[in-house]
Amino acid sequence: MSAAGSHTTLLTPSQGLPPRRVARTRRATFFSFVGLGTIAGVWLMYVYLSEHGMRWSEWALLAAFVPLYYQLNTGFWTALFGVWLMNRPSPDPLDLWRSLTPEEHEQPITAGTAIVMPIYNEDVTRVFEGLRSIYLSLEATGQAANYDFFILSDSDQTSQWIEEESAWLELCRQLDAFGRIFYRKRRKPINRKSGNVSDFCRRWGRRYRYMVVLDADSLMSGGLLNAMVRIMEKNPGIGILQTFPKQIGSETLLGRVMQFAQALYGPAFMAGLDYWQCGEANFWGHNAIVRLDPFIKNCALPPLPGKEPFGGHILSHDFVEAALMRKAGYAVRLLNTPRGSYEEGPPTLVDMLKRDRRWCQGNMQHFWLLFAKGWHPMSRINFLHGILSYASSLLWLAFLVFATFLAATPLPRESPQAGLAAQILLGLTAALIFLPKATILLDELITGRVFKTPVMRAMTFLSGLLDTVVFTLLAPVLMIFHSRFVIYTILGKGVRWVTQRRKLDGGVDWVEILLNFWPVSVLALVWGVVAWWVSLSFLLWISPILVSLLLAIPIAVAVSGTRTGRRFHLFLTPEEAEPPGVLQAMEQNLDEVKGRLRLQPELERFHGLMQVFLDPYINGLHVSLLRRRRNIDVSRGYLDEIAGRLIQQGPQSLSPQEIKAMIHDTDTVTNLHYRLWSAADHELAPFWITAIRQYNLASGGPFAHTLARKTKDDAIENKP
Amino acid sequence: MEAVNIQFAPATGTEEEWNEAYARLADYFRSYQLHNRIRRTQLILETLRRAAEAHAREPGRTPTAHSIEQARLMLRDWLGTIYRDLNLSEAQIEAAGRLGFYLSGGPARWPHFFLDDENLPENMAEAMRSAVRTSGPGMQVSKMTPRDIDLGIVSDVAEDTFDTLGRHPMLRYALLITIAGSVLGYLYLLLR
Repeated sequence: MSAAGSHTTLLTPSQGLPPRRVARTRRATFFSFVGLGTIAGVWLMYVYLSEHGMRWSEWALLAAFVPLYYQLNTGFWTALFGVWLMNRPSPDPLDLWRSLTPEEHEQPITAGTAIVMPIYNEDVTRVFEGLRSIYLSLEATGQAANYDFFILSDSDQTSQWIEEESAWLELCRQLDAFGRIFYRKRRKPINRKSGNVSDFCRRWGRRYRYMVVLDADSLMSGGLLNAMVRIMEKNPGIGILQTFPKQIGSETLLGRVMQFAQALYGPAFMAGLDYWQCGEANFWGHNAIVRLDPFIKNCALPPLPGKEPFGGHILSHDFVEAALMRKAGYAVRLLNTPRGSYEEGPPTLVDMLKRDRRWCQGNMQHFWLLFAKGWHPMSRINFLHGILSYASSLLWLAFLVFATFLAATPLPRESPQAGLAAQILLGLTAALIFLPKATILLDELITGRVFKTPVMRAMTFLSGLLDTVVFTLLAPVLMIFHSRFVIYTILGKGVRWVTQRRKLDGGVDWVEILLNFWPVSVLALVWGVVAWWVSLSFLLWISPILVSLLLAIPIAVAVSGTRTGRRFHLFLTPEEAEPPGVLQAMEQNLDEVKGRLRLQPELERFHGLMQVFLDPYINGLHVSLLRRRRNIDVSRGYLDEIAGRLIQQGPQSLSPQEIKAMIHDTDTVTNLHYRLWSAADHELAPFWITAIRQYNLASGGPFAHTLARKTKDDAIENKP
Repeated sequence: MEAVNIQFAPATGTEEEWNEAYARLADYFRSYQLHNRIRRTQLILETLRRAAEAHAREPGRTPTAHSIEQARLMLRDWLGTIYRDLNLSEAQIEAAGRLGFYLSGGPARWPHFFLDDENLPENMAEAMRSAVRTSGPGMQVSKMTPRDIDLGIVSDVAEDTFDTLGRHPMLRYALLITIAGSVLGYLYLLLR
């Protein structure tokens, strides 16, 4: 592939960037509705509160109410505009799919595109089988020649690293894809994921015109990838094109409800967002295509002033990259993608909260950027919405606390005007919360957009009602945790970079749930006693929230379990009913690996380490991939000492740092291979005696431990 | 295929030690995915013969250690013959050469010629050489330099405040306690 692919031929420089007149009209319309709704709600609240003049607590309550109501209105109008867009008789003039003619959909692709997947201690089988599916899906389109794949590893668990190397080699061998799929491991994971991608851009970015960024759990079809490249070619004004990744593969109730909600309500919200965001949409960090030249020139991230958690390395890099890209004059667009772009979600409530903790800190960091110079106003609004998505939980909590204060000090309500205002406000708020959902459900019943058959439409309707119950129970629990995360961030408690769990793996962890949720239940109990003491009517008013909090532990257990109602066709998504080829192919291969006999748990735990020292081929691969440079961090004597300990006491006697020091040194890795095989039984730790005896029995092929065993012909049959 | 004709009568070491060496060599050659048992036995016996000679010279080391060392030397010689035209160091030849044998399909296609540098088929040597020539895409280094973002006056003030709070945890907690105390005090005033 030549470097010429790195420069876009400018057809019309601004093509893809919506006309300013259109964007302004759309935003004026949208924010007029949002503003009107917010002002109306705030005015009604003021009328209700100010019957006897405003006290401090009433002002505080009103202050918390304003951003909450703004957020509620934004969601409401986004959904309603989305439903309108999906049903309007004439197509949206800004729809990017319409920028391609039918002939252009068939034209050969010449632009060089790198598909990059940054990974960090992820499930190796899932990563490489996902990649295989994407690769085969692209091959099936006949346009794969200009795509290269890069697995960009920052994994710091040694066994994982070795398994990644061997899975990469095996995948290349099975697909005959040497020179097409590349593996790169960073020694030091500087600046985490964004640093990983930037490192790719610095080393190889100039070779490619586009970069498709994937997460470790992403899955994309070849057809959609081609369409994205063609749209970027036709619209040189677009810097980032973000797809709508649909959630797949969930096995728990929480996961299935989330993926159902995303499948049912997501398209309307996406259409609505696209309506008012126009060329200033957000980048979500994955399942998107990026124009590399402007990205390299303009989107390197500076550290924020101060230390973490507010300062330092930017965690939620994607929003900032989108803002920088827009600042550089390129559009960031959303692409309406009903199929072809997928991701997985967290399986349990605890996993979801761990992810939210990270996202919360990332979004709170954007506070600095709100007031920075040079942003497009919409970029500021995007930052604000990101901050509000977590800060609103604290505001809601504050609102409820102030409401408790006010209920504890009641004043006589005499004015009929105030009573009417309260009733109207209640009705309006209920409409803002439930009307978008009702409208989308009605739309599905009438149009059958998700499912065609009347029975499935009815089941979708029923599932829509049931998910309301789940979300109603979850919302107060999430409010408490998100509030805690915001406070932690303000207090300076940062988050560690941890591996995300994407599958349940062995059932619900009761202990973890109990440890995390008991304070929530205690809080609900105390609050309930206070509310009862204040008045019975107040207790009834606040009881829906308190009941959810009180039941936090059973709720967390129930939503993290695998009783999901699937056999009754509840929460069914189109991807479950009719899996797309790219998903079907991957799941077949995952099932094959899952069904295999396992080694002893101790050997499985250190499998990568066992292989790199015992297997002559994997040892050769690892040494070949290591950069040959002198290990300046540690002395030869130190390496010999830990190597001796590894032989005599086994890998469990070494710390991760010791293993890491050893595994980075080519001489130590090579010599250990022979030292282990040379040692008599009495010189070896029991781990190695078992490993030597069992290794050959278990190994059907040294590299295929984590991958499905497919021949080239199998692969062709399985083409998605 | 050559006839199996090995005289194995070690002058040094016990029978138990040589049996252990045999078992270890059997496992070792199996780890090369050589499923042809006859070839594996040939290799084991040839390696044991060399190891017995080495053990006679240096009886301080175990027969197992001598056997694996001999296997390594045989491998180095064999790979050295195949890769002598490529500009590789000895360590590179050893690592990449083993991998080259696997990637060329050697264990299944040419098990009889593993460690045999006298009867090496040319297509096998070429397949092994081309397997190690595959490498990653050449780097085309770009500059990706972060540009400072002017955070404006509000951020400057906020940064100073947070910086001060960050450097003085006591101040941070005092502020939090003050806020919480004010809220509770206000509640007390309301309810008394």
